[in-house]
Amino acid sequence: MPLRIRAMIGPNVAGRRMIQAKELNLVPPLFLQTIEDTGLSTWLRESESPFAFYFILLFHTFGLALLVGANVVVDLRLLGVARGIPIKPLQQLFRIMWIGFTMNAVTGVLLVIAYPTKSLTNLDFYIKLTIIGCAIWVMLKLKDRVFADASLNEAEMMARGASLAKWSLLLWFGAITAGRLLAYTYKYLTYPS
Amino acid sequence: MNFAHLHLLLNHFPIIGTLIGMGLLLLSLAGKNQDFRRASLVIFAAMALISILAFFSGPGAQGAIKNIPGVSEALIERHQGAAMLALLFMEFTGAFSLVALWKSQGESSPARWNWSLSAVLLLSIVTAGLMARVGTTGGDIRHPEIASGQEEATEGSTVSKMVRGFEPSPGKFAELMTASKWWWAFMMDLHFVGLALLIGTVGILNLRMLGFAKQIPIAPLHRLVPWAMAGFGINLVTGVLAFTGMDQYYTYDWAFWIKMLAIMLLGLNVAAFYLTGAFQSVEGLGPGDDAPPLAKFIAGTSLFLWFAVITLGRYIQSYSDTISVHK
Repeated sequence: MPLRIRAMIGPNVAGRRMIQAKELNLVPPLFLQTIEDTGLSTWLRESESPFAFYFILLFHTFGLALLVGANVVVDLRLLGVARGIPIKPLQQLFRIMWIGFTMNAVTGVLLVIAYPTKSLTNLDFYIKLTIIGCAIWVMLKLKDRVFADASLNEAEMMARGASLAKWSLLLWFGAITAGRLLAYTYKYLTYPS
Repeated sequence: MNFAHLHLLLNHFPIIGTLIGMGLLLLSLAGKNQDFRRASLVIFAAMALISILAFFSGPGAQGAIKNIPGVSEALIERHQGAAMLALLFMEFTGAFSLVALWKSQGESSPARWNWSLSAVLLLSIVTAGLMARVGTTGGDIRHPEIASGQEEATEGSTVSKMVRGFEPSPGKFAELMTASKWWWAFMMDLHFVGLALLIGTVGILNLRMLGFAKQIPIAPLHRLVPWAMAGFGINLVTGVLAFTGMDQYYTYDWAFWIKMLAIMLLGLNVAAFYLTGAFQSVEGLGPGDDAPPLAKFIAGTSLFLWFAVITLGRYIQSYSDTISVHK
């Protein structure tokens, strides 16, 4: 106890800052280091194999291409682009969206396991998850509103789906941005020693 | 084959190809010939693509010769600045050529002259002039037999001096691109948005041709292609800007070059789609119809190559510095 007080008074700036951080409770929780020390996490992070971190990240990009790509086509059509495309068959695109989402959920978990401190101490990461949550909610609502009722004609489907389609595009753009910014907004790459 | 060799091989296309395209376009005007007109537009689009490759091989060529006595860094910079300006106009020419080609769909007899063709004609003339300048400044670097002997073109025609004013300084431009990590993040962000737009639209068209979601007729899906081109355009711009910002990083990375090769192959694939009649064979397909084997092959190749492009792009970071320079 006396040692810590001395550190606060002394000229050691870094020490003082550390104590301040502890008082404000901003030091990353230890469980992050526990995850980082596991075999899987270490392998993902440090392996030279092309099947490690970059492979996971690659499939995360594939998943995003499928999920957002398919969403964009449905959204654009509901907003009136390429009116020759019949809307009802576009329901099959939701299957592609789910494949993309699953790929991203699985690879996403693996990415967090590889760099738990980097992701879970980054506000942007939580913003990204929130935006994705909203985008998925909009996607489900859209599917229900526009595609669930088989008796609707195309004009009615477009009228019901236009606003949700606009939000969907905005939210996915936001999700991509938030995700892309992760590489530029993190505070710790690994648990600070 | 080293980078200098590659650069010398590729740089013929932007210069001569543009001239041939321009010649065909002017001939098509005179003779009201739709075939010549279409051919010129295809050539401009192809040259726009190859010019990017020629531009990207520049820094490698620079690295190969810069330590040779007698090679002037200042002349290389002048050439690079001229190349950047010429590339800008070349890409505009290519973009408007694609617009003009899109507008000319379904027309067999000479179409009415429209604004996009005027844009192509004007831009191609400017591009040809700028490309000639790139060629001359490039020759000044290593061809003493044609050089005026001056390091800086202090004596030049008025036009030459005017153009010099527009040419960016490569060093300053690179600094601008890498000055702020937020700008870099923004460019990479747009790169991903472009890829989502591209894969979504082209992907659905390809999947339909391969037999997925057969209730959708093909012609309306094809109308999404301009959105795909917008996505590609965003990625082309952000990609070239990223390269100019960090050319050493990309030049010596084999994943980057194979990605470029994949994009060139995609250009060939697109040309094949429209020029072999595959597009005509699927254009009229309605719900339930199956696409012919050639169209399926082209669609499958397109999907494969786009995912290859994503893969290679992702691996650029982990394979940087994998091309060793032999001196």
